[in-house]
Amino acid sequence: MRTYFPVEELARDERFSKVNMRERMADPRTLAGDSATTTRKSRGNNNRLVPSRRDATDAARALMHGIFVGEIQALEGAGRTCHDFAVSNVPGTGPSGADSDPTTGNTVPFALKLDMARQAWDEARHVEISVKLSDWMGTEIGQFAENTVLFEAACSTDPVLRLAGVNRALEGLAIDVFTTMKDFGDLAGDPYLEFCEDWMLADEVTHVKMGSDWLRKVTENDPDRRKKALDFQNVVDKLFSYGGTRSDSEESPIGLARRFRELAGFSDAEVADIAAVSLAALDERKSSVAKMRDQAVTEMADQLGTA
Amino acid sequence: MNITVTPATFSYVEFDADLTTRVARELAASMGLDRDVRIEIDETTPLAKIIVDVPTAANEPIVVHADSGAFEDTRRPRRQSENTTATSLGRVLYRATDRLQGGFGEAPADGELTLAQMAAWETYSVGRLARLGIPVNQQRWRYNFRNRHGFSDAGDESFALLWSSDGLTWGELQAISERAISVGTPARAQVGT
Ligand SMILES: [Fe+2]
Ligand SMILES: [Fe+2]
Repeated sequence: MRTYFPVEELARDERFSKVNMRERMADPRTLAGDSATTTRKSRGNNNRLVPSRRDATDAARALMHGIFVGEIQALEGAGRTCHDFAVSNVPGTGPSGADSDPTTGNTVPFALKLDMARQAWDEARHVEISVKLSDWMGTEIGQFAENTVLFEAACSTDPVLRLAGVNRALEGLAIDVFTTMKDFGDLAGDPYLEFCEDWMLADEVTHVKMGSDWLRKVTENDPDRRKKALDFQNVVDKLFSYGGTRSDSEESPIGLARRFRELAGFSDAEVADIAAVSLAALDERKSSVAKMRDQAVTEMADQLGTA
Repeated sequence: MNITVTPATFSYVEFDADLTTRVARELAASMGLDRDVRIEIDETTPLAKIIVDVPTAANEPIVVHADSGAFEDTRRPRRQSENTTATSLGRVLYRATDRLQGGFGEAPADGELTLAQMAAWETYSVGRLARLGIPVNQQRWRYNFRNRHGFSDAGDESFALLWSSDGLTWGELQAISERAISVGTPARAQVGT
């Protein structure tokens, strides 16, 4: 079986329509209308995804579909990490160690593969839960375009970058999203949404924790590699902060789930950092938002070697 | 009956003013709507808000203000979906028709409708659109109704009644909505947590 699977070749049937990060960011409307500012004005400074929002039902359906495709890609990403790298249990063997994979120079400890296998099992269950929830909310499979950013972040040839970009940045975002959706279900009195999100949230906290733990262990004696991974995590985090989609402020549709992030191994300084970037993004003028977002897309592509 | 769509050409999205005109004309004819309609699309925003101004003077046109997201194909960003266009336009044009044809004199202005009242009226409108042959996902509208009236069997019965009704007055529509709210108990209590 081949290693390093390109995002363009992910198996999807005709119901799905894929949009990559670059295409999504190229939509001129997002910037022209400065949607964050517009909606802020029209909703009296409260954009949090709660049932009292006029567009709440459709917004929740769209977000749930985003979760569903994210789960598929998380399954694919964790599965690839199980398969793409040779095993070396020698700590710090790193990219050029004696036991390393001759193709990429990267190896992973066997226990890391076990964690990724467990994650793949969790994600498969999340896909099934998400399909049922989407059905319950009146959404068809593939009804919204699939943003492939998660799998794009899982395409790095360095497993540590995958852990940082996927497990810490994107699954960190998943913690924020699930917490917001769980609260939504609770407030609406939806008999299924609240506890389905709660169960998935518990798994996501574990996945982020795996990322935090393995990142620390694998790079214990390799500060440069750790720095590179944390830089990548930062870039991915930034992509989702621009426009103010997620922050502590009620003006953002999705809140920052501080407590669950702590449980997942984020330090206080890291949480404060994400909070600061998110809040700053909320108030950025649209031109600088556009510039920084383009830059982040380019940086991500550069680091993945797909520019 | 005259239908106008602005802008005539688009630069932010790949929309077709002629398609929008045709869809609106067919809907208006099916509804028996005998007024001019002006549709103003804001192509600079991906949001999906759509509102309608219903004139009091007989010679004034109905004016629909739509964000581009209201007509967009959610599978293919920036492209227009005929079905989404028909569903979005159909919802506001049915509301306009109801107000113009009588029986809805006491209904608050659109901006003053409660979330439950709006959900009830949307249910009534989309049910009629389905009977015109426009493909709609009933569960989407049921979920919207449940979010606004509680998740209960009584609420679902009210939904079904609104969905299958024709010729309601505002008083009848509001009574069905209020009944769902008053007897609705959160379904969460039934399944436990
Ligand atoms: Fe998941
Ligand atoms: Fe996960």
